[in-house]
Amino acid sequence: MLITRSIYQTKADKVYSWLFMLPVILILLIAAFIPLGYGLVLSFHRFKLNIAGSRPVFVGLNNYIGMFKDEIFLKSLSNNIFFALLSVAVELVIGVIVAMMLSDDNKISRLMITVLMVPMIIAPVAAGTLWRMMLDRTYGVINYIITLVGLQPVSWIGDYRIAIYTIIMVDCWQFIPFIAILVLSSIKSIPKSFLDAARVDGASPWKVFIMVVLPITAPVIIIVAMIRFIDAFKVFDIIFVMTQGGPGNATEMLPTYIYRQGIKFLDVGYSSATAILFIVAMSLIAWGFMRLRSYQLRRLG
Amino acid sequence: MIKLRSKRQRESYLSNFLGLPTRIILLFILLVIVLFPFYWMVTNAFKLEQEYYVKPPVMVPSKPTIQNFVDIVQKYELVKGLINSILIASGATVVTVLFGSLTAYSLINGVLPKRIKGFFAGWFLVQKMYPAIVVAVPVFYIIRTLRLMDSILALVIMNASFNLPLVILLMIGFYQEAPFEVEEQAMLDGCTLPQRYFYVTTPMVKSGLIATGMLTFVFSWNEFLYAVILTVYKSKPLTVMIAGFITDKALIWGPMAAMSCVVVFPVLLVMWLMQRDFISGISAGALKG
Repeated sequence: MLITRSIYQTKADKVYSWLFMLPVILILLIAAFIPLGYGLVLSFHRFKLNIAGSRPVFVGLNNYIGMFKDEIFLKSLSNNIFFALLSVAVELVIGVIVAMMLSDDNKISRLMITVLMVPMIIAPVAAGTLWRMMLDRTYGVINYIITLVGLQPVSWIGDYRIAIYTIIMVDCWQFIPFIAILVLSSIKSIPKSFLDAARVDGASPWKVFIMVVLPITAPVIIIVAMIRFIDAFKVFDIIFVMTQGGPGNATEMLPTYIYRQGIKFLDVGYSSATAILFIVAMSLIAWGFMRLRSYQLRRLG
Repeated sequence: MIKLRSKRQRESYLSNFLGLPTRIILLFILLVIVLFPFYWMVTNAFKLEQEYYVKPPVMVPSKPTIQNFVDIVQKYELVKGLINSILIASGATVVTVLFGSLTAYSLINGVLPKRIKGFFAGWFLVQKMYPAIVVAVPVFYIIRTLRLMDSILALVIMNASFNLPLVILLMIGFYQEAPFEVEEQAMLDGCTLPQRYFYVTTPMVKSGLIATGMLTFVFSWNEFLYAVILTVYKSKPLTVMIAGFITDKALIWGPMAAMSCVVVFPVLLVMWLMQRDFISGISAGALKG
């Protein structure tokens, strides 16, 4: 993909080329590589900033071993996996349905696409506050609507059994449009001749969807699923404003847990270890998805 | 028989699982679900204090008031937060677009070993994969040691680092599409690399720069995690401020709704200005990786 187009390669140009890259390399070092490396080092140390004058003490793998005895960590891990699986599954199914509904090229669809972009570009914090207002147990509009239908008001945020589903719901509201728009652009790239051929053969819409649309959009769907799945492990803003990880630890997830350990309790060593384990797990997941995608692409030819 | 079918029917062939009326009803429900929270936010921002605590909830404010907006300016330091948000987002945008375009240009038209280009492609993937939170604690410690806590500069650097991968990726595309003949001619005329960058090629991709810049602005404007970690008091942006309206006991309804409006509105404006670029930017960022 990247082809150098220079024909005359002067020495000055070579120096300039490197100079052009320099600022980005510096920013990278400061904001990504040094912290990452430093985090790796700290993960083998006991280091608590809240104790005055404390220095990192080498403890080997203690932090890593401690993680698996830490009930709250395990709880936030399982919460996060549950959250990722359920939210991505719901978002994919509804996202593909929405994309199919909007696949005609007419005024209504174009208008809807513009509207759909609104939730996905506003700040997740703002999405959290919007829904926090609507879901308020006593004065929220959602509970009012529910009572109109004759149901009991629900404690969306206060009930430990429900809170995680509330977070999933808000996440869906924000990111179903993202999936729908990406899948839609892939559906629109399907050659008309394929659809015509299917129609001449008398295929039902359902058959066209299964036999034509789904196989062609599968690589995009897999990539989108991967992005959303990885993003689901980055969920922080919504939880921070809506539940703060509570009630109890019902909505504690890995990012909020790392934040709590590292920034609030200032246990730098332990939270670094959690973060490193997190990166490793993410890489494995991404690798798995990549394999799946290359398999899909190969099958398509 | 097939010939007789109109164009419209062919287009709707993909989605005619359900009859048209059902689809229109479903789309309408979708529209309501997507837009109602915004309606609620805006009406809440203009409600009177007592209207938050009545049943049934007030759907349309009886006497719209701008008191909440006056309050956030006077009591909740809106102006300070707004200035911080603007400084952080525009600082990150300038840094990202300038340095990102320099790098992209250098990767396409410069003289560099092949390996470094592969490195950037790889880095883009890695950055996408690892959640920002994993470097939060070391960054927090480093920034604290450098005495950069609560500074705009720290947030500008962090936001730039988050947005650079996407910006570089998109700009590589723009520079590749720019006609090479012009570049070649300038080279023959003896222009050095910086001259070609500033006077020849970059002006040709200006619209691309503006689009990526707006994307970066929106992402940095919305950023919350590092804003909450790295600010204490004086450089708090708006996103951190709205989170402060939710306390354990209650919500501060009016000011919260009003400030949410202030956070959301500029983003909608940017989106309106660059609808098409936005979709392609987001999908490129998502799919090229």
